Amino acid sequence: MAGLKTTRSIEDKHDTVEKAMEAPPVVGHSILCIEDEQFISELYARALTKAGYTVTIIADGTKALEAAQSNQYDIILLDLMIPNLTGIEILRTLRNPARVPPIRSKIIIITNLEQRDEVRADIEKQADGYLVKAEITPNELVKFVQNVALPS
Amino acid sequence: MDHLHIFRRHLYQVVFAILIGQGIVFIGAWWLTSHGNLAIYWLIGGCAFVLIFSLLLAGLISQLASAPLTAIRQAILHISPSEHGIPAPQLNQLRIGRELVVNLIGQIYEFNDVTSKTQALAEIEQKDIKHNFIAQNLPLPLFILDAAENIKFANKAAADYIGIDAPNLINKNVYMVLDMSFTSTNTFDTWLKKAKIAKATFVGSWERVRLNARDNQPNRLFDLAAYYNRGNPDHIETILVLFDHTKTYSQDDQAISFVALSVHELRTPLTLLRGYIEVFEEELRDKVSPELQDFMDKMNSQAEQLMAYVNNILNVARVDNDQLELHLQEASWPVILKSAIDTISLRAKVRGITIHCRIAPDLPTVGIDRLSISEVINNLLDNAIKYSGNSQVINVDTHLTKDGLVETTVQDYGFGISSSIMPNLFTKFYRDHHNRAQVGGNGLGLYLSKAIITAHGGNLWVRSKEDVGSTFGFTLLPYSRLAEEIKQSGNQELVRGAHGWIKNHSLYRR
Repeated sequence: MAGLKTTRSIEDKHDTVEKAMEAPPVVGHSILCIEDEQFISELYARALTKAGYTVTIIADGTKALEAAQSNQYDIILLDLMIPNLTGIEILRTLRNPARVPPIRSKIIIITNLEQRDEVRADIEKQADGYLVKAEITPNELVKFVQNVALPS
Repeated sequence: MDHLHIFRRHLYQVVFAILIGQGIVFIGAWWLTSHGNLAIYWLIGGCAFVLIFSLLLAGLISQLASAPLTAIRQAILHISPSEHGIPAPQLNQLRIGRELVVNLIGQIYEFNDVTSKTQALAEIEQKDIKHNFIAQNLPLPLFILDAAENIKFANKAAADYIGIDAPNLINKNVYMVLDMSFTSTNTFDTWLKKAKIAKATFVGSWERVRLNARDNQPNRLFDLAAYYNRGNPDHIETILVLFDHTKTYSQDDQAISFVALSVHELRTPLTLLRGYIEVFEEELRDKVSPELQDFMDKMNSQAEQLMAYVNNILNVARVDNDQLELHLQEASWPVILKSAIDTISLRAKVRGITIHCRIAPDLPTVGIDRLSISEVINNLLDNAIKYSGNSQVINVDTHLTKDGLVETTVQDYGFGISSSIMPNLFTKFYRDHHNRAQVGGNGLGLYLSKAIITAHGGNLWVRSKEDVGSTFGFTLLPYSRLAEEIKQSGNQELVRGAHGWIKNHSLYRR
């Protein structure tokens, strides 16, 4: 029960962060950060904003999927452990080959969860990047995002 | 056939001896009565005649005398359930004792009728009980295979276990149904091959066999027992019994998920610490006193150390659970080595240590798993830093050995290792008692490094003297030696386990 309450209060805080970040998206530079650990998303948003990206943070799985399906983001940073929907479910929905039109966003998985090798390989196949959060600093994330954002 | 044959030969010899004896006596008497007037060629001719006559007559007599015995034997074989394709005896051709033989054989057939009926009934009953009651209700999965390794019988438990109806299992090849992995190279199919070549009956058992389930079903873990019986008349050549231990064996998997959970919980604060430290460094660099700057570096290096430790925990859990998978690929060794040294340079710097790196020119490319090898270098350098004491230099050197291996050494000039603890150095959780008070660490690093280097086909060694320092060295195979193996596997890379499961191969050869 205590856990539920905590999640909710974090979500409320996120809504305000979301509003503060709601600037008109710049082409090639809009990022959706799906992450429920508020301190982490703050840090990432800070570094990415400094690098010229527009960042929207959503901490809830269902809301995040809705936002991602609007197809307006160039890059989606996706945590795997988030409330209501798992990151894997969101990834599968967005990368469903039957989807018309396809989601143009590049998807980078950001997680601290250790997966079995075969699970990780399966996720990596569908995503454009896979990062362990503990192994990168915010600035290293920015560099990674810049590389992924390069037109292929 | 043997006894009858011997009997006939003995009879032949005896008859022949009698006949030839009589012939000699006869010729002797003939010669005596002629008072020496008989020409020598008559004598020789007589002898030859006696010899040929005896041979033929002895053959005929032994044949005729043994014919009744042959007929009786054939009759017994004819009704015997263990012999096939023996015809009934031809009694018309008997010359001697025909009446007696016909009576005897009649009695044999009569006797057989009575016993075979009761026996057949009992057998049917037996088979019925065997197959339908005991086997069917045996609470263990049971499979019976014929000589072609096709399933002849599978009980209810077996069908439930693999999730296919029993009738659909019949006549399927066992390897198509049971996709098993074993923990050693003695797999079921190698055992069966050995049995078929060299054994009449053979019993085998395996622990911790994994059933690779289909369609998102969870894998099952079980012990396996097998019995082999060559040429069994009921086509029960191989019997397999499975003992499910999924619950017990998968506790290790639960253990790794506990590890994974702890690692996740450790990583979240670590992510934040590293993030905030970076922000401070960015915003405060050149604005704070050198002392605070030094503290910041130390804080950062400690966070990096914690991260390395977390990765060690994960990898040790992988080694212990046979889940460490190495993907060996071609790589330039100097590039990997320099980047690994770079990663740890902050940790060296905050302790005032300089790492010197000497790389021999013209090293061949190596076949390595980059991530794991970087962790090995990281662990060896980490140890060298921890145990350096007041010494401020660590030397890294890499060169080609006489055997054409790429050898890398990490040398420190610190405490050294006392010879008494050398044998335990690569054991999990082992640490120098001397230094435990002064130096942090957990003894996972060398255990892990050893496992990783060994899985690469290399060797990790140590040379050390107390108060002089230690040198750790490891060898790696040049890529050219792995290239052939990679070519044969048809992949871009070679996948190796630390001591992984061995697949039952027969399925893939069919």
